[in-house]
Amino acid sequence: MISLRSKKSKEGSLTTHGGGPSPRSLVGLALSLPPLLIVLIFVGLPILIGLTFSLGFTTGPNRVIAIIGQQIHKKNHWWGTLGAYNDVIHDSRFFGDLRLTIFVTVLSTTLVLLLALAIALYQRLIGGRKAAVLVTLSIVPLFVPVVISAWAIHTFYGGDGFMRTFFTHFGINFPTLTSTPSAIVIGTVWTSLPFAILMISSGLQAIPDALIESAKDCGASVFRVIANILIPLAKTPIIIAASFTSIGILGSFTIPLFLGPNQPTMLGVEISNFFGAYNRPQQSLVMAFIVFAIASGIAVLYVRSNIKSAKESGRL
Amino acid sequence: MFKKSMKKPLALFAAASLAVIGLTVPASHAASSTIQVYISADTNIQDLWVKTLVPAFKLAYPGYDVNVTFDLHGDHDAQETAKITAAAVLHKDPGVDLIDGGFTTTLGAAGLLYRPTPGLMPNINDLNKTVLAAGKGGIPYRASSVLLAYNSTNVTTPPATLDDLLAWIKAHPGKFTYNAPNGGGSGYSFVQTVIDKYLSDADRKTLVVQAAPELQTKWAQGLETLRQLNKYTYGQNGTYPANNAETLKDLATGLVDMGTVWSDQFSSALKAGTMPANIKVTAIKNPSLTGGASYLGIPNSSVNKVGARLLANWVLSPAAQNLIVSGTLNGFPVIPLNKLDPVATAAFKGVDILNLRAGYLSANANDLKSKWASTVPGK
Repeated sequence: MISLRSKKSKEGSLTTHGGGPSPRSLVGLALSLPPLLIVLIFVGLPILIGLTFSLGFTTGPNRVIAIIGQQIHKKNHWWGTLGAYNDVIHDSRFFGDLRLTIFVTVLSTTLVLLLALAIALYQRLIGGRKAAVLVTLSIVPLFVPVVISAWAIHTFYGGDGFMRTFFTHFGINFPTLTSTPSAIVIGTVWTSLPFAILMISSGLQAIPDALIESAKDCGASVFRVIANILIPLAKTPIIIAASFTSIGILGSFTIPLFLGPNQPTMLGVEISNFFGAYNRPQQSLVMAFIVFAIASGIAVLYVRSNIKSAKESGRL
Repeated sequence: MFKKSMKKPLALFAAASLAVIGLTVPASHAASSTIQVYISADTNIQDLWVKTLVPAFKLAYPGYDVNVTFDLHGDHDAQETAKITAAAVLHKDPGVDLIDGGFTTTLGAAGLLYRPTPGLMPNINDLNKTVLAAGKGGIPYRASSVLLAYNSTNVTTPPATLDDLLAWIKAHPGKFTYNAPNGGGSGYSFVQTVIDKYLSDADRKTLVVQAAPELQTKWAQGLETLRQLNKYTYGQNGTYPANNAETLKDLATGLVDMGTVWSDQFSSALKAGTMPANIKVTAIKNPSLTGGASYLGIPNSSVNKVGARLLANWVLSPAAQNLIVSGTLNGFPVIPLNKLDPVATAAFKGVDILNLRAGYLSANANDLKSKWASTVPGK
C-alpha cells in the first residue's frame, strides 16, 4: 500500500523560526474563539451548573429551582451529596427504563444501518431509476415533523388502525403494536433513516468505479467487493451515521411518549416526567447526566474514528 | 490577515452592535393604570379573556388598561415560574400583575403570591373556603369538573357510584380507559377518586390543603385496586393513553365505551363536531370525580397590586361570572348560583358546584402521579 502521508514542510508549520506562536496562528485562534466561547458559555456553563445542582449545591444560580422543586437534597459535604443519585438508582423505575432505552437504541441503530446500507449499496452497485426512487422515498421522513409521524404511526398500528383492519379480512388477528417497544423501534427507525441514507450513500458514491471494476476483474464476488472494499472505504460516513443516529435515539422523547408503554418508558420521557409532572428537578438532572455519560461514550468512538481517518489522510 | 484599514471599522461595528443590544433593555413598568395579565392555557381561555372579560372590564373601569400575554398549553410554565421566583428573591419587577395558569398553585405553595383579604377584595367572601385555602394565595375564578363520558348507544344506564363503575369495568374488559395522571387531569382525577374511596373525609381534606407525606402510605389500597384494573382497561395490558386528548379520541372513535373527561374539553369537542352526539356525560358519587378550580395569582412582587386586585375582584363579581358561564367556555362559576343569571345557570341544575371535590395540593398530587407510575402501569 502506498503511504499517503506527506512530509510536513517547514513552510506549512505554524511556528516562527525563533519559536513561539506566529501572528498568523494568533489570528486563527481569535477567529475560532467566538464560536468556542459561545459553546462554552451557553452549553458548557449550564452543564456545569446542572452538575452542581445534581450534587446538592442549591445556592447561586440554583436558588430558584431549589425553591420550586420537591425532594431536593442539599449538600452535606464540601463536594456535595449523593442523595439525588441514590434516589434515582434505588427508584424501581430507573433500571427498567435504562434497559429499554439501551435496547431500543441498539436495535434501532442496527436496523437503520442495515436498511441504509442495503439501499445505498443497491444504488451504488446497480443504480438506475428504481434505486433513485427508493432513495428519494426514504428521504421523505426528513420533511415530516416528528409529532405528526408519531401520531400517524399510532393511527396506522393502533387498535382500529390499517394493519389490524387489513388482516382481519384474512381472518388474522394482527397484534396492536401501539404502547409497545416495537412501535418505538418502528417510529425511531422511520425518523432516523433519512440522515443515515444521506450519509452512507454519499460515502459510497465517493468510491471510484475503478476500484470496484478491478476487484471484479480479479474474480471477487459481489459480497467480497462489499465486505472488503466498499464498507471499509465508507467507514467514516458509516460511523458518523451510527453515532448521530444512536445519540438521537438515546434521548428521544416524542416517539416513546406517543408510541411506547407508560412504564417502562425511555429515559427522555422519564426525565420529562420527573422534571414536570412529579416536580423532582434534581432527580431528573441525575438521569440526564447518566444519558449524557452514555452519549459521551458514543461520541468518544466518533472522535477516535475521526482522528484515525485524519491521520490516514495526512491532515494530522 | 486583515488589512490594517479594515481593523478600525470592524472594531467600531462590534462596539456599536454591543451598544445597541445594551440599549434595548425593556422599558420599565408603565403607570399603574396598566395591568399586565399572563395567561397559560388553551385557546378557549385566551378567547375568554381577550374577547369577553377584558373588554367588559374596560367598560366597567375605563381608567384602566389591560395587557394580555398568552402562552399556549403552558409551554413556558417552568420558565415563567422561575422568572417570577427570581424576581421575588431579588426584589425586582416580575413583569406580570395577574396570572391565570396551572403553575399559580406552585407559586402559592412557595409563598410567592399575595394573599387576598375580604377587606380589599370583598367578592372573595362568596367563594368556597376550602377551594380558596387550597390556592395558598391563588384566587379561584372558574371551575370545571371531570365527568364520566359514556357511549349512550352501548351503555343504556351508566354507573351511578364509583363501586358501580369499578364493577362495570370488570364486567366489560377493554371498554374503559383513563389517561396516565402525569399526562392529563382527567386521568389524574380518576386515580385520585379511587384512592379517596379508602380515605376518611378528614384525611381527604388534609391532602387538599397541606403537604402530607405521612398520609401517603394510606394510598396503597387504592393503588392496588388500580393495579388490578390493568387487565380490564383498554388494551388489557396495563397501558394507558398519554393525555386528555387521546382519551377523547378513543371515545370519539369508539375504541372505548367509557372514559373520564374534563367537562369543558368535552363541551368544546361536542360543539366542534369532533365528538359524536351519542357520547354523553354523567357524574358519579361516593366519591365523586374531582373538580378543578382555575386559580388567578397576584405575585407578591407585582408593581401594580391595586390594579390586579381590582381586576381579580371584578372577575368574581356576578357580571363577570355570568360571562364565564354563558359564553363558549361553558365554565362552572365559583360564586353561588343564586347570584347569577337563572337562564345561563339552568344547565348546572344537577351539579353541586360549590361542593366540587378538590384535587390534592400540588405537592401531594405530584407525589401521587409518581407513585401511580411506579406501582400501576405494566404491573
